[in-house]
Amino acid sequence: MKAKNQIKSTDKHIVNLAEIVGGARSILYLKEDLVAYDCDGFTIHKHLPKAVVFPKNTQEVAEVVQYCSENNLPFLARGAGTGLSGGAIPLNGEIIISMVRMKKLISVDLENRRAVVEPGFVNLMLTNSISDKGYYYAPDPSSQYCCTIGGNVAENAGGAHCLKYGVTTNHILGLEVVMPNGEIVEVGKDGIPDAPGYDLLGLITGSEGTLGIVTKITVRILKNPEGKQTVLAYFDRVEDGSQAVSDIISAGIVPAALEMMDKTAIEGVEAAAFPVGHPKDIEAVLLIEVDGIAAGIDEQINQILEVCRKRNVREVRAAKNEEERARWWANRKTGFGAMGAISPDYLVQDGVIPRSKLPEVLSKINQISEEFGLRIANIFHAGDGNLHPLVLFDARIPGESKKALEAGSQCLKVCADVGGTITGEHGVGIEKREEMRFVFSEEEIAAQTDIREVFNPYNFLNAGKLFPSPGRCVEIKKELKAQAKIG
Amino acid sequence: MIGAESMSALKKLLNEEQIFRDEAVFNPYGNSGEVTVYPETEEEISAVLKYANSNKLTINITGGGTKRGFGGLMEKSGILLSLERYKGIVEHTPGDMTVTVKAGTPFNDIQDYLAKYNQKISLDPFWPQMATIGGIIAANESGPKRLGYGSARDAVIGLRTVYPDGKVIRSGGKVVKNVAGYDMNKLFIGSMGTLGVVSEITLKLRPLPKCESLVLVSFPQGKMEKIKVLAVNILDSMIEPVTMELLNPALANKLAGINSYTLALTFEDVESSVRYQEEFIKNILPADADLRIHSKEESESFWSEFYQHIPNTAAKELPAETEASLKIGSVNMSILNVMKEAELLIDLLNVSIESHGGLGHGLSQVTIRGAAEDVADAAAKVRQIAESTGGYAIVKHMTFEMRKEISVWGENPSYFFLLQGIKTKIDPLKTLNPKRFVGGI
Repeated sequence: MKAKNQIKSTDKHIVNLAEIVGGARSILYLKEDLVAYDCDGFTIHKHLPKAVVFPKNTQEVAEVVQYCSENNLPFLARGAGTGLSGGAIPLNGEIIISMVRMKKLISVDLENRRAVVEPGFVNLMLTNSISDKGYYYAPDPSSQYCCTIGGNVAENAGGAHCLKYGVTTNHILGLEVVMPNGEIVEVGKDGIPDAPGYDLLGLITGSEGTLGIVTKITVRILKNPEGKQTVLAYFDRVEDGSQAVSDIISAGIVPAALEMMDKTAIEGVEAAAFPVGHPKDIEAVLLIEVDGIAAGIDEQINQILEVCRKRNVREVRAAKNEEERARWWANRKTGFGAMGAISPDYLVQDGVIPRSKLPEVLSKINQISEEFGLRIANIFHAGDGNLHPLVLFDARIPGESKKALEAGSQCLKVCADVGGTITGEHGVGIEKREEMRFVFSEEEIAAQTDIREVFNPYNFLNAGKLFPSPGRCVEIKKELKAQAKIG
Repeated sequence: MIGAESMSALKKLLNEEQIFRDEAVFNPYGNSGEVTVYPETEEEISAVLKYANSNKLTINITGGGTKRGFGGLMEKSGILLSLERYKGIVEHTPGDMTVTVKAGTPFNDIQDYLAKYNQKISLDPFWPQMATIGGIIAANESGPKRLGYGSARDAVIGLRTVYPDGKVIRSGGKVVKNVAGYDMNKLFIGSMGTLGVVSEITLKLRPLPKCESLVLVSFPQGKMEKIKVLAVNILDSMIEPVTMELLNPALANKLAGINSYTLALTFEDVESSVRYQEEFIKNILPADADLRIHSKEESESFWSEFYQHIPNTAAKELPAETEASLKIGSVNMSILNVMKEAELLIDLLNVSIESHGGLGHGLSQVTIRGAAEDVADAAAKVRQIAESTGGYAIVKHMTFEMRKEISVWGENPSYFFLLQGIKTKIDPLKTLNPKRFVGGI
């Protein structure tokens, strides 16, 4: 056979898998090729896969999965590899099933407001493909220019605009899924809502690739709002800024986005690629976007300006034009990467808190920062309480990676303790497995792994993710020490 | 069977006045129990479940009793667990816009409470004055405003669920964004009480709209093609109706005195936006359509009437006519076909039909009244119609006797083994709401 001849491996599994996906051009198995796949956006933990295969269609995915499952080979699916919690890291030397060649936009049905895509289709491409007709796809993670919708489904990705429009799960109408034994299942046929039976759609979305491999996705698309306007507000005190957030929401306004950055974060974004001239001495900046019927926008903007003034704002104003609005957002959306301008390394966390606890939580994070001697910048989806503490550190200094991990974990503990949670949109992955214990009891974790067993009974699919090791009541610190050693 | 031993065991778990036994109880809808118990705390719910589960007794669950005709092939379980005394607001933080409530709280009680803070739960279920939040979530009830605000799966952010063995499992939390672990909330929403007893529910809230209006567009000639053109134009426009519900002539007549197909558009926003959207509709109105614009008060009373139009099993006697109600899921625009075809059954089978469907969300509902046999025939036909458009139909209301003759949930889906697997994992002894759900789960 031709494909067989091209494979320079004697490993029968490599040979057989290559045959399934159509030859040597659709598989990587040499060490030098595999290193690019030893981690995703979470770079502290690394492991080489056994191979990476690139199937072109559902059938090939199903055959690869069936082969792996019959031969006891661990496997996992990977999209663009932008995940921030390590969900696509081949901890067990998995066969990585890369979905990047399944990147078609299959159909768009404007009348029924839905589109069908393959999992490797890039998030922003969907909006770009339908924007000329006035439509868009709402979930907008910061990595949307390169992350795939399949990955978004696995992680239940969020974004700046999910305050008003919801996260990925609110926009998924149907899925075709390859089960861990290779069987192909379709849930939410044709995107028709409320299919009789348990809500498998909701369960699979956000399961971090541990219940099945999604091969086709029906998503809801929305009509562009008629108008939008963004307000920028500078505060001298974080308390005032966060009170303004509550006041805006209490005034009955549902902003499309409501973002906050603290002083350290401002220092970062101003030193990076998209500075907009935020004052250096300001404690908090708020970005507030309202969208909807154009006739109603001014009234809401005036109300927002009013609220901010009542809370001792130093300066507040609406964007003069679309160009300015876009600059403000570019400055914010590249916020994580911008930390590279003021620190050699950074670790991003993803806690969620009840909005009203913000001042309390920020002051505790300050304490953690002082205690560990590490700067922590805060970028905050303030409207929905999703806090991204960015722990700044220098991995070249011995022990500092470990300290950063510990500080990050402590931040999550603070979030959990005020009634929040450990991840709002990045997922648990490898990174926050042990922190799951901050929010769930042993029994509650077992209730979740019970569900995994129904779908993935032998746990060949993406094993070792999402859940803490069973029955192990180790101190989280120990786990973190182990992680830091690997890093 | 609940023998003397079980009775005395239950009496150890609950007070005398929380246990009720009446052999001659009115029960044409099934889903009943030999003994009704009224737990007042989560510990009591847990204790009853644990006892039943370890003594091979079955439990049916009820709240306001409005959905006793929805699913179920058990006339009686051993125990009917009523949550109507487990009610009240547990926690409401206005600044966070979240509320935690006990499952037995009637929906309107919560809305009335929240209204004082200019907030609401963005669900619009039927019979909201009687239906409990627990029942609404367990049955995944939604109404026309789903178009604007989504359904239970979009509103619920946290649950406490008592498992059949008595343990309490929390899912989600109290924050609006949460991806820690599996999204277990979704598992219990719409599970018809077959996995656990949801005891506490945390929901995200929305502000009450500052302004609201109802625009009724009626089509005296009843041409579906015309209705479709308008609906497609609205969906393709920048306006943002919260409802776009088509009512059949009988329902439009009942609610608004208009005896023709009527599109009910609701706008909720700041006043300038609402007025702008009303104007927009006026400007694109087809020549042969009539338009009426109703104020906020009129809109509220219209919808409040609407939510009472389907059968309700809480009444103490059967209505004179046999009633059935079906929920249909289809692609949005197929609703027009479903409603049109269902209309033909009126003359064909001598039944009356009230139907409505959301042209922006894909769910419709057909309520049939008439002689028992005709109603059963019509219900079967409605399912055929739904399936011929590629959708599904489930029976939301029928008497116990009638349910035995029709498959309430339709054919099992191809992935039934997963549904069964989930049930077996969580409720291996089939203690909770046995035979209530898809495929006899």
